[in-house]
Amino acid sequence: MGKADEDRILRLWTPLLLRTILIVAMIVIVIGLVLAVTVTPGYYVNRYHAVQQGHLIGREKFAEMVTRSAAGDPHTVLMVGLFVLTLVPLARVAFCFVLFIRERDYTYVAFTAYVLAGLIVGIVLGGIG
Amino acid sequence: MLEILGSLLALSIGAGFVGAISGLGGGVFIVPALVIVAHMPMRVAVGASLISVVATSAGASVAFVRDGWTNLKVAMVLECATVTGAVAGAYMAGVVPTAVLELLFAAMMLQSAYFTIRKRGDDILTKGDPLAERLELGGEIPDDTGNMIHYEVIKVPQGGALMVVAGLMSGLLGIGSGALKVIAMDYIMHLPLKVSSATSNFMIGVTAGAGALVFLSRGDVATTIAAPVALGVTGGALIGSRMLPHLPVRSLRMVFVVILVLIAVEMGWRALSGI
Repeated sequence: MGKADEDRILRLWTPLLLRTILIVAMIVIVIGLVLAVTVTPGYYVNRYHAVQQGHLIGREKFAEMVTRSAAGDPHTVLMVGLFVLTLVPLARVAFCFVLFIRERDYTYVAFTAYVLAGLIVGIVLGGIG
Repeated sequence: MLEILGSLLALSIGAGFVGAISGLGGGVFIVPALVIVAHMPMRVAVGASLISVVATSAGASVAFVRDGWTNLKVAMVLECATVTGAVAGAYMAGVVPTAVLELLFAAMMLQSAYFTIRKRGDDILTKGDPLAERLELGGEIPDDTGNMIHYEVIKVPQGGALMVVAGLMSGLLGIGSGALKVIAMDYIMHLPLKVSSATSNFMIGVTAGAGALVFLSRGDVATTIAAPVALGVTGGALIGSRMLPHLPVRSLRMVFVVILVLIAVEMGWRALSGI
């Protein structure tokens, strides 16, 4: 596979990847908002005013979020939607990383690996910060 | 509840729409809208904005990548710089005083206003510098007659240095820093303007994503605010980009400049009166 093929694959698959994850995330967020309106409207209003005062819920465990969102908790469904949305760039860089490894284009393997590492360091720093 | 949700959605759709037609992105408008109109703390506004910026970048870059305007290799090289800045910025946003953030925001709005009125034109190079050629950063774009013209790139390290600053501002302030990114690529690295804009748009996703991940994992994202904002800004940006060809964007440019300066003054005033 030559450079032209590499470029063609990137231009074909990158938009598809971006659009698919974006649509999935948006659907999850819409479901979360509909649940919030119908199931727990009072909670939403209370949270809104609490956030205005600077009171955030804080860090949550991922495993707990998955369990609660499966049970249909609106706040957790929204959080999962936002996480999926934020994974769009991570997925795109990971895709490029794998493609460059297959192409043995090691200069760009190094660039994408650095970006991936940076994104992961972000998660770790947020966790300890 | 519907009243609150409706007003958040309306604010976000407006910010996304103006962000798309001005070319500055939704971040520079949604952060002040949340702080000034919805009375949200700065860090809540920044966290919500970063996530919405990821969404708009993903949505907007689809067509640019498909049609070949985005220079993917330039993006991947420079993303190393923006991610470094963004992670550092988002981390620092947790400790930097709000007044400092508001002042920085005001400064970035003024820079965006200057970016909107400055004269621009393509200065295409046919010979790149050795580093850019080794990284194969050059590309091709169609000229006015549809013939493909080749362009080359120079000064990658200098462009990268400005990208670290762009990433830092993005992580600290919740904006895409598109205006800084385009300056780095078009003014310093001599990429054609449309390629700079498309590539900046593409890179903004990773830059804002890096910042958003720090905010999310720190628990600094309020779903109550961030979810409708992400939805609204993306929707507004979609409407804006569809209407863009039918709007008198050139004559609207002065309106954007006035809005940016007014917001900068308001944010600056908030910062100074809060000190």
